Amino acid sequence: MADIRNAGKYYAHYLARYWKGFIATAILIGISTWCIVVAPTYLGRAITQLTDYLQLWNDPVTRASADLASFHRTLITYVLLYVGDASALFVASWILARITAYSTGTMRVGLFRKMQRMKVQYFDQHTDGDILARYTSDLDNIFNALNQALIDIFLAIAQLVGILLMMFDQNVQMAWVTIASTPLALGAAAVVMRQASVAVNQQQTDIGAMNGYINEQVTGQKVLITNGLQQDSVRGFAPYNAKVRRSALKGQIWSGVLMPLMAGMSLLNTAIVIFFGSWLALNGQMKVGAALALVVVFVNYAQQYYQPLTTLTSLYGMIQLAITGARRVSEVRDQPDELAVPEGQVLDGLQRGVAIEDVHFSYLPGKEILHGVSIDVAKGEMVALVGPTGSGKTTVMNLLNRFYDVDSGRITFDGTDIRDFTLASLRANVGIVLQDPQLFSGTIADNIRFGAPAAGMDRVIAAAKQANIHDFISGLPQGYETRVSDEQSVFSAGQKQLMSIARTILTDPRLLILDEATSNVDTVTEAKIQAAMDNVIQGRTSFVIAHRLKTILNADKIVVLQSGRIIEQGTHAALLAADGFYAELYHNQMVFD
Amino acid sequence: MRILIPYIGRYKRDAILATLTVVLQVFATLWQPRLLQTVMEAIMAQDKTTVFNHGLGLIGLAVLGIAAGIANTVFSARLALNVATDLRTDLYGHVQTFAYADVEAFSASNLVVRMTNDINQIQQVVMATFQQVARIPLVFAGALALALITMPMQWWVIALMMIVIVATAVVTFKLMSKLFAQTQQDLEDVNTLARENLMGIRVVKSFVQEHSQITQFAQTSDRLRDVTTKIGEMFAVLMPIFFLTANIAVAGSVYLVGAHLTAHPTYLAAISSFTSYLTQILFAVINGAFMMTFASRAFISMGRIHEVLDHQPSMAFVPAGPAKVAGDVTFEHVTFTYPGDTRPTLEDVSFTAKAGEMVGIVGATGSGKTTLAQLIARLYDPERGRVLVGGVDVRELPEATLRHAVAYVLQRSTLFSGTIASNLQQVQPNATPAVMARAAEIAQAAEFIDRLPEAYDAPVEERSANFSGGQKQRLAITRGVIADPEILILDDATSALDARSEKLVQEALDRELTHTTTVVIAEKIASIVRADQILVMDNGRVVGTGTHRELAATNPVYQEIYATQKAKEGGQH
Repeated sequence: MADIRNAGKYYAHYLARYWKGFIATAILIGISTWCIVVAPTYLGRAITQLTDYLQLWNDPVTRASADLASFHRTLITYVLLYVGDASALFVASWILARITAYSTGTMRVGLFRKMQRMKVQYFDQHTDGDILARYTSDLDNIFNALNQALIDIFLAIAQLVGILLMMFDQNVQMAWVTIASTPLALGAAAVVMRQASVAVNQQQTDIGAMNGYINEQVTGQKVLITNGLQQDSVRGFAPYNAKVRRSALKGQIWSGVLMPLMAGMSLLNTAIVIFFGSWLALNGQMKVGAALALVVVFVNYAQQYYQPLTTLTSLYGMIQLAITGARRVSEVRDQPDELAVPEGQVLDGLQRGVAIEDVHFSYLPGKEILHGVSIDVAKGEMVALVGPTGSGKTTVMNLLNRFYDVDSGRITFDGTDIRDFTLASLRANVGIVLQDPQLFSGTIADNIRFGAPAAGMDRVIAAAKQANIHDFISGLPQGYETRVSDEQSVFSAGQKQLMSIARTILTDPRLLILDEATSNVDTVTEAKIQAAMDNVIQGRTSFVIAHRLKTILNADKIVVLQSGRIIEQGTHAALLAADGFYAELYHNQMVFD
Repeated sequence: MRILIPYIGRYKRDAILATLTVVLQVFATLWQPRLLQTVMEAIMAQDKTTVFNHGLGLIGLAVLGIAAGIANTVFSARLALNVATDLRTDLYGHVQTFAYADVEAFSASNLVVRMTNDINQIQQVVMATFQQVARIPLVFAGALALALITMPMQWWVIALMMIVIVATAVVTFKLMSKLFAQTQQDLEDVNTLARENLMGIRVVKSFVQEHSQITQFAQTSDRLRDVTTKIGEMFAVLMPIFFLTANIAVAGSVYLVGAHLTAHPTYLAAISSFTSYLTQILFAVINGAFMMTFASRAFISMGRIHEVLDHQPSMAFVPAGPAKVAGDVTFEHVTFTYPGDTRPTLEDVSFTAKAGEMVGIVGATGSGKTTLAQLIARLYDPERGRVLVGGVDVRELPEATLRHAVAYVLQRSTLFSGTIASNLQQVQPNATPAVMARAAEIAQAAEFIDRLPEAYDAPVEERSANFSGGQKQRLAITRGVIADPEILILDDATSALDARSEKLVQEALDRELTHTTTVVIAEKIASIVRADQILVMDNGRVVGTGTHRELAATNPVYQEIYATQKAKEGGQH
């Protein structure tokens, strides 16, 4: 129920602005439906007129007075009614198609816009696949539902109302007969749909388990082959496959039976209408022509009456998906935004230095990661953070850029708490180079000027030169205009890393945070990256998160973190002399002759 | 379609019954207007008995229709599931005969998609075929035939209606197909942007580029919106035209009945059934067009499955040969090029390692280290030259012999979901707790396994996600040594281990597996500094062979690598 309410709110937000279109659609559909339900009566009238004509013509006395003029007029009206129906339906579909395309477009951009405002925390807690699915399958489901279900629901409801009105207008007895089987049909449909949803859930669970097995085994094919385990794998697969056969059979039968069931019910209902109609025609006080017309008209209605019912039941699954989709997308909409501090001070350069003062921090309440960390960095100094995985090195970086905020303590730039600066000015002064150099679709030049889209080529080239990547780029056939796409990249991890360094150089940040690349590159490439990093660090205040000690031997200060606490700090020489944790780490990593 | 026939043939009974029930269903649908016509004639003739009997007949016919519809669903679902399950079994079995090159050629994720999505697609089409597709031509042909029997002289009304409808459909779809392709492209662009911004959210935020990204996304999204609008607008024309055409045809036929009424007075009773047939023809044509697009997707899936089933494994093993070989490894002028590459990855590589030796391989990324190791395990065959294990060309060894002799531990050789024991017993089926414990001791895994409450019965989650990187590698090494291999290849398999554990692993290997040749590929010189023999690779060639001390003194490539890892002068003590 909560899902439906959320979905309702979501759709109301995006669709309310098209209220004029919806009203126009409703009116047009009303017109179209009126035409459709009225038209059969003209067909009936035409038959009555033909019967009368035949009787007149068969009688030699009246033959001369028999003519078809009124019959022709009836037929023309019949055609005109369908022309009206078609035109109204066309305009209504046209309006709804536009509303669908425009509203889903707004939803898509809205989702993206929201994503750019959200806290980094959300992205850390959800997998990329999960968030991306909201763009792909969820928005897709919403689009499909709006695209198909919207017009169908409009039509079905209008048709149902129209036919009911017409039937009761024409003949009350016959109308009751026509709708008599409705509870039976809807009841059967409800039972089938409930069974189907249970069976399909089980089916999806089993398919998920099987796909998981296939994925794990085939992705690990190298391990299977090198250990000669292929036949074991085939044996292991059989039970999964057998289970899917059983549960999917159930799922397919229950979900597949709905349409033939409804079609069959429609057939049965038509039979009942014919049966009762002809009984009425023979036992009632009707003329043959009128009786014939009554049966023809109600056969028509009986068929039409079941159409909206069938449509509505068949849309059920699609609507279900659209409700789930709306819930998942609005979940994102409900996430808190980052605090942009629009009224804050504008940070403009760094005069004295950066200080981390007794910072406590936890990603999850109750699970503290940093337990009172304090680090001072004077302007122009380089501080290296060292420690085992999980010691909190990367967390410090997350705090300096306000991807996360401290639980207690504070971080200051020139003595001012970073939470007092506008978020944009803070980040404009802090540059980061990440372990995994994420590039964006576009040219190499676009990527290097990512942080300053207006920068000219001279600045791009200057940055590339400093990052030791200019020669490589110049050697490419298309130079700086070479397309970058993260999907099928022709660039090595090392080259991407160098481009991401150039990207940071170009924005000329006051404070630099470098998260060193780890195992993706060999040590020779790493040396090249190191040289580029040294160029960036030159003259800047910097934090370096180091994985390989070789790179930080010249740091002004090395801070050793373990389990969220600083256990040692000092220069390389001082720490080696202390012969503690750092000294052991150093000896383990290096080769000694 | 060809591949499906033998599978459907296995379940002839279901296929025949499904077809039969469709025919019954169609019969019930088509015969109803026919009976209606008789009833109408009886009403005109005031014949109560006929009306009553045929009325009952109508209800019986409808019940038959429902029963046939339900039975048809059961039979076609069973057929579809049986076909899909068998097809999947065969596909899976076939993939497991593939050599590594074949898996690489298709790519693992691609094979997974074929075994899951594509099979699913086929299952749906088989089901739809026996539920719907058979129905459409039957309804079409039946309705057409009955309409012609009912009012033969009106054949041209029907023909005209069909021409208009088909022409409209063809023209619209032709206009739309270009737009559909455009939609696909735009959708891809939108998703790419979304994905990049997800993965790079820290970059976007730290460069304060949220607004420029939103602008770019909005432009791409608007392009997609405009194309979908166009498609929607074209679709809006389609249905109204279809219905209008059908109803003009109805009016036209009624008009003709009027015109010829005096000659054929019985036509009056036939109007209702004739118009029913017209509607059924209309829906058959519309459904047919819809099914076409559905089927075209299934044809693509079938083609993709075909491709896998038709692909013959690129490597075959001799059926019989020596059951056991010693651990000596020899490369004789081995050159190897990956399929599709122009330059060889290995060029004229020769070396010999005696059983029980430790061989280290170093070199830059892409220098051919892993390729060399893969040739020992015969994941690929050399283009020229020979690879010998225990003095025998690997191409003359049966698969089981080679797999037992060579254990290959990868940097990312995760375990399979199950338990630690189930993973170890996969390789060594009769491994006793003592055997498992010994292997874990060697791999330095015993200390953390013993701390797990369920020890060797501890669960292993998918992708071994419940173990840390270092633990995963130690478990993988445990699996590598448990069967006491003649040759153990550690392909960057200790990268997540700290130097102390790595040293302990190597010492244990020296001590416990004295006959085992160990081939160690590493980025860190520290990992191979103790090797009896180190091969230095550069661009596919071995540019140096010797011990650490020899190479450090003489080999420039080795020196360059070493320089980046050497302790700082004065830092030693």
